[in-house]
Amino acid sequence: MTEKTSAQAANPARAPSSKRLEPLRNIDAGVLNIAYYEAGPADGPVVMLMHGFPYDIHAYVDVAPQLAAQGCRVIVPYLRGYGPTRFLDKATPRSGEQAAMGADMMALMDALGIKRAVFAGYDWGGRAACVGAALWPERCIGLVCVNGYLIQDIAKAMVPARPDREVPLWYQYYFQVERGRAGLAANLRGIAKILWEQWSPNWDFDDACFERTAVAYDNPDYVDVVIHSYRHRFGLADGDPQYADIERKLAAQPPITVPAITLDGEEDGVALATDGNASAPKFSRRRTHRVVSRAGHNLPQEAPEAFAAAVMELIKA
Amino acid sequence: MADFVDRRRRLFLGAALSGVTARAFAQSARNPARAPSSQRLEPLRHVDAGVLNIAYYEAGPAAGPVAILLHGFPYDIHSYVDVVAQLAAQGCRVIVPYLRGFGATRFRDFATLRSGEQAAIGADVIALMDALAIKRAVFAGHNWGGRGACVAAALWPERCTGLVTVNSYLIQDLGRAMVPVSPQYEVALWYEYYFQIERGRAGLAANRREIARILWEQWSPDWDFDDATFDRTAAAHDNPDFVDVVVHSYRHRFGLAVGDPVYADLQRRLAPLPPIAVPAVTLDGDADGVLPTSDGSASAANFTGRRIHRIVPGAGHNVPQEAPEAFAAAVMELVRA
Repeated sequence: MTEKTSAQAANPARAPSSKRLEPLRNIDAGVLNIAYYEAGPADGPVVMLMHGFPYDIHAYVDVAPQLAAQGCRVIVPYLRGYGPTRFLDKATPRSGEQAAMGADMMALMDALGIKRAVFAGYDWGGRAACVGAALWPERCIGLVCVNGYLIQDIAKAMVPARPDREVPLWYQYYFQVERGRAGLAANLRGIAKILWEQWSPNWDFDDACFERTAVAYDNPDYVDVVIHSYRHRFGLADGDPQYADIERKLAAQPPITVPAITLDGEEDGVALATDGNASAPKFSRRRTHRVVSRAGHNLPQEAPEAFAAAVMELIKA
Repeated sequence: MADFVDRRRRLFLGAALSGVTARAFAQSARNPARAPSSQRLEPLRHVDAGVLNIAYYEAGPAAGPVAILLHGFPYDIHSYVDVVAQLAAQGCRVIVPYLRGFGATRFRDFATLRSGEQAAIGADVIALMDALAIKRAVFAGHNWGGRGACVAAALWPERCTGLVTVNSYLIQDLGRAMVPVSPQYEVALWYEYYFQIERGRAGLAANRREIARILWEQWSPDWDFDDATFDRTAAAHDNPDFVDVVVHSYRHRFGLAVGDPVYADLQRRLAPLPPIAVPAVTLDGDADGVLPTSDGSASAANFTGRRIHRIVPGAGHNVPQEAPEAFAAAVMELVRA
């Protein structure tokens, strides 16, 4: 069933572009020292808010206070390769594979002593949330995800899409060659800004808003993690052996067995809005799909009310 | 320059998102007569030339000065549908070959590598001239064909009376292929990066018309071509070697495919970027959606003979088909010089 919801029904207040999610906390978790923002009561139901590429925790600058105000304990980590999150060992492969993203989230919950949480995310973070929900359902109260089921079917990665859907993936193809790696390293901001504009055609972000996030790309592992992520998903880079078992499980495209709400931005410029039917078999429990009018790909930052409302529905259920 | 960058940015972003580029205006009112979309360059002739049996169209007096018109990707000989008539009417013998991998041109041996490297395209031009016993000609082209013309003009100047190219000096500097350019220009090269991986090869094979149409629209935002015009050319992409030649071309230029050893010596001579010594006229469309419109100064050092650079108003990347008068005039200037 598809519902439709409005991004800016009453034009609610937005945090100014100068507002940062601070102070950050840091904790050793698995192979990382993870920097994260926390808000809300320590004993509230926990929500993990996972950002995407090329974004950062400020995708949740409005979602986090809305959830905290409703009693949630909100955890917003910088993914590996972003912001002040660091690898503990210089020898750890800078993998950007989906299994690593999911494992990082579980390692963070372990480090913080969090038993269960709502997993919510979009783009890379939505994939991490799907991976966590599919493989560790006992840790997951519910899933909020933009663009449906995001676990990559790497065995089918060489099947072309319609040409007009391949064009927006220019950056993924660019990153396959060393020119793309060099181009990303030389133009971290230039590439990200093009993607923001292509993916969110209605989002009128200002320079301060962009720059607040863009500093997260200056992480020393950003280029390596990004390049590995986009090569691995096409089967063109080896994974980190420590995630081989998780990747094997993901190759079977495991179902999501927790309650889920999936959101599509009506104006998403990279992953087209859907009615959710194609991914329906991947959700074996209650699942609601909504199209958020006017929103693009960065849905939590563009339509925070719709995103926060989805999280709260799963908590109250 | 700022205006130009903004314009391109708009084109790239819009085109990349929708696959359909808004056209600023149609070029109809002030335009001179154009051949109808139904007109084909026929009949074709065929000749064994080097590794190919080349299909080509010929027009004009047999004794006239020769102009060889070389098409690009993803186009065909009908880029010259209006240029040909204009040049023939002015006394030129016009030869318009289908490049390897396009239309009715075929490889003679199934074992020949389906190379799309620049040396091969240039060598094919000379092989065609040899087969037709043409001693000297004006070489004129755009895109792949412009590159073939540059290669032949640089390495066989004694066969070339003059060079007309779109986008100036087109010999690829493979040694610098991994140096990135500004991101908004990389966006426009999406197809080149797509073709680096097997998904791109499969996508081209499955969707060659859709891909070509997106490129036409991105590269020529002001060109109001109709379906019949597109289909007339797109049929040339059904050549059995099209996908192999195209994919090889775009991999080789990034140093990611090995060249045909037959052309290794030519490729070595192209590596130092040999100058063009013959007289040259270079044209840039001012609405080219894939390569930047330039003032020609950056490539000036590559031309050691007389060289004129012009910007063609309203034209995109397919200059000979969009602005045939400007293209034909450039050829005639070299013929008469």
